[in-house]
Amino acid sequence: MNIHKLMNDTSGKVNFLLGNEAIVRGALESGVDVYTFYPGTPSSEIGEIFMRIHNDIGVKWVESSVNEKVAIEIAGAAYARGATAMVGMKNVGLNVASDPLFAIATTRPKNFNSALVVIVADDPQAHSSAVEMDSRYYLKLLKIPALEPSDPQECLDFTKKAFEISRELKLPVIVRTVTMVSHARSNVVFGDLKSSDISNEFDLSKEVNVASRLYFLELKDDQIYARMNRALHISEESSLNKIVNLEDENKYRLGIITSGVSYHYALEALDHLGISIPILKLGFINPFPVKVVTEFLKKFDKVLVIEEMDAFLEDQILAVAKIADINTQIYGKFPFSYSKEQSLLPLVGELNPTIVTLALKKVLGNEFTLNQNDRNPIKLETMKRFPIMCSGCPHRTTGYALKEVINKIKSLKGVDTYFYQDIGCYTMLSYPPLGFANVKYCMGSSIATAQGVAHTSNDLNIAIIGDGTFFHAGIPALINAVHHKAPILVLILDNGWIGMTGQQPHPGSNIMHYQEGIYKKNIDLESLLIGMGANVTLIDHSSESDSYFKHLKKLIQSKCFEVIDNQSLRVILIRDECIQKIVKRRTPILRQVNFELCNKCGLCYNQFSCPSINLIDNFVIIDSNSCLGCGICEEICPNDAINKVSK
Amino acid sequence: MMESSNYTIVVTGLGGQGIIRFIQVLGNALMNKGYSVITSETHGLSQREGKVKCFLRYGKKLIAPIPMNCSADMIIALEKSCILDVLNFAKLDKSTDLIISEFKKTTKNQEYITDDYFKQNLPNFSKNIHYITITKIKNDIRLLNTLILGFIISFLPLSYQELQKSLNNYFSGEILEANLKILQIGSILRRKKD
Repeated sequence: MNIHKLMNDTSGKVNFLLGNEAIVRGALESGVDVYTFYPGTPSSEIGEIFMRIHNDIGVKWVESSVNEKVAIEIAGAAYARGATAMVGMKNVGLNVASDPLFAIATTRPKNFNSALVVIVADDPQAHSSAVEMDSRYYLKLLKIPALEPSDPQECLDFTKKAFEISRELKLPVIVRTVTMVSHARSNVVFGDLKSSDISNEFDLSKEVNVASRLYFLELKDDQIYARMNRALHISEESSLNKIVNLEDENKYRLGIITSGVSYHYALEALDHLGISIPILKLGFINPFPVKVVTEFLKKFDKVLVIEEMDAFLEDQILAVAKIADINTQIYGKFPFSYSKEQSLLPLVGELNPTIVTLALKKVLGNEFTLNQNDRNPIKLETMKRFPIMCSGCPHRTTGYALKEVINKIKSLKGVDTYFYQDIGCYTMLSYPPLGFANVKYCMGSSIATAQGVAHTSNDLNIAIIGDGTFFHAGIPALINAVHHKAPILVLILDNGWIGMTGQQPHPGSNIMHYQEGIYKKNIDLESLLIGMGANVTLIDHSSESDSYFKHLKKLIQSKCFEVIDNQSLRVILIRDECIQKIVKRRTPILRQVNFELCNKCGLCYNQFSCPSINLIDNFVIIDSNSCLGCGICEEICPNDAINKVSK
Repeated sequence: MMESSNYTIVVTGLGGQGIIRFIQVLGNALMNKGYSVITSETHGLSQREGKVKCFLRYGKKLIAPIPMNCSADMIIALEKSCILDVLNFAKLDKSTDLIISEFKKTTKNQEYITDDYFKQNLPNFSKNIHYITITKIKNDIRLLNTLILGFIISFLPLSYQELQKSLNNYFSGEILEANLKILQIGSILRRKKD
């Protein structure tokens, strides 16, 4: 996407946009003042684009916050003060942000311009997530409106609509996407850009103050019985809830209720079957448009509910049918049975047109028998491939050093070692040939899980956490572990960036090395750790000469021994920058193999497992296209057979 | 079954090969030609060398980002073995065009699947199999994508000039020059085959 077009193109222009890019445009067409976020797939591009454009386009504040809770507190306060604000996160980020969001949802800013849109990107099938989680039940907990777009054009339109609704109701509005919407790219027609209407008033009255219990209950009452009540009326009347195919003859007496990307799967399935069946597509997924759904249910003998993951719509449709005393048979997931046999659509994983076609055929009955198109893929021999870390990735160096140390510890100390992983690229250390992972929950969980085991075990427990994740959610856990003298080793893999989602900056990132950095202050991780009272040792790859790997190994071993012998906590801060960032600043010094000295021991291409080093036609070859010049292979080669490529 | 006016391409390969850029260049060209295009992209995680599967679909109106099984008009494998993971999208009448790169990425723990295995099994899925040799591109494996773009021009309602224009949107300078050269080689490759 040409970023200038996204910023400047006028109304009526058509661009080929990612769902996330369309959300940015929708916000720009709503006069957005503030965008805060924590990167997380599939939501990250929104923040990346805002970081690049906000100075040029006059958005007042954009930040990559330390975590989602802080991000929403900043956006929420800006909203209270009169800004048009947006905050973005992935589904599990909403767990982190939910605490303040309950209070924000209750407040009622007085300023006309106040609007808050919360982008929540779900990831059915957990393509890029540690867990699969449907965020929609939060809507019932939070009692706020939500819209669900089904494609990139709707990402733009619904984002604008969400701002309008929030501005009118003074409630935060969630725009809920999924991977196949955020990461779909399609023709998107632009509307007019809008400039901000922010004024300098800030009315800090009780309506934005939920500190007092008296006010809180009064405001909650208003939130539910006034603002959500009005939201329900808007939902009932909204053109975002639409019925298609109604005019067609429907001999099957069947209707479909769906929302989001599942709508397109339903259309595709009907097209495939060559039939037309009325579809109620819900764009307004909370509050649930009871009258619209009731009227739709009345028309049919059967209704199939098509949605991904939880039976969020189906639950409510079942309730609506009961209240209105409608006997329409409702098909979908039979959520109360917990029975795979009974559910036509799965409660787990992504849907696709094939799965929806199968469900439709079962509801339609005999006329549509299953045929070969529904077959499962024929079993063919395939290559098994694990996602791997980049060539030159510092985590590979750490992992390999760790592997060597652990073998020694077992023989010298007789204790087993267990690993507690966190969320980041280093999660891939759990794949072969390294294979470090015993427990992994969520962002920041490694330290407390290591502690949780260590207090009742004599083994060596090692927490592995990245710098971005440490800032996000690891700090309280480490303070807890230090305070309680947990006998664990904490490895902080400081690669300088939030690597996994595309090397976004965090508070510890080098401010000289990113565009926004000139406006930021860098937080020194080592000083922070010392301030927390941790016994910390820093090792920095950039200041070590040719024996970094040796020193790293020695350091890890000595700290493992200290943890075992003294039953106390040690932290090693391993500073080794993400290679993808390094190569953007300087040309890598490549390595080559001296065939006369190489005895093909396999240490570099098998044990260390650098993807750029391969045994080809019985020669060890370093691929000059993919080598990024970390130089670790040169250091670890026992035969001195690897050296720098001379220019 | 309704006659479909849509065209579906499945593109598979390995993370880091440039698949997303590939479908962007192609999709952009098709959009400018007046089609409604939708692609699905696999982002996030540095899934280097993990298998990636993307879809590009176009037609008169907007369609789902994921196609039905057994419905692809074309399947492109930018890495040879990846074709074996997506043949559930090949049509049952074997009319799907399979465009298969001869680029092979070996793994540390498994022997690469033999050429014979491909020869024995792929004809069960398609009558139209096109293998693309990679001898033309020595320096940068990502140029393979452009070679294949050139190769598929004649299958699609696009001209060389239209794809060239789309490449202009995404590349500049030396990289653009190299890509345009390879695009031309790719388009000639196809004509020679016919």
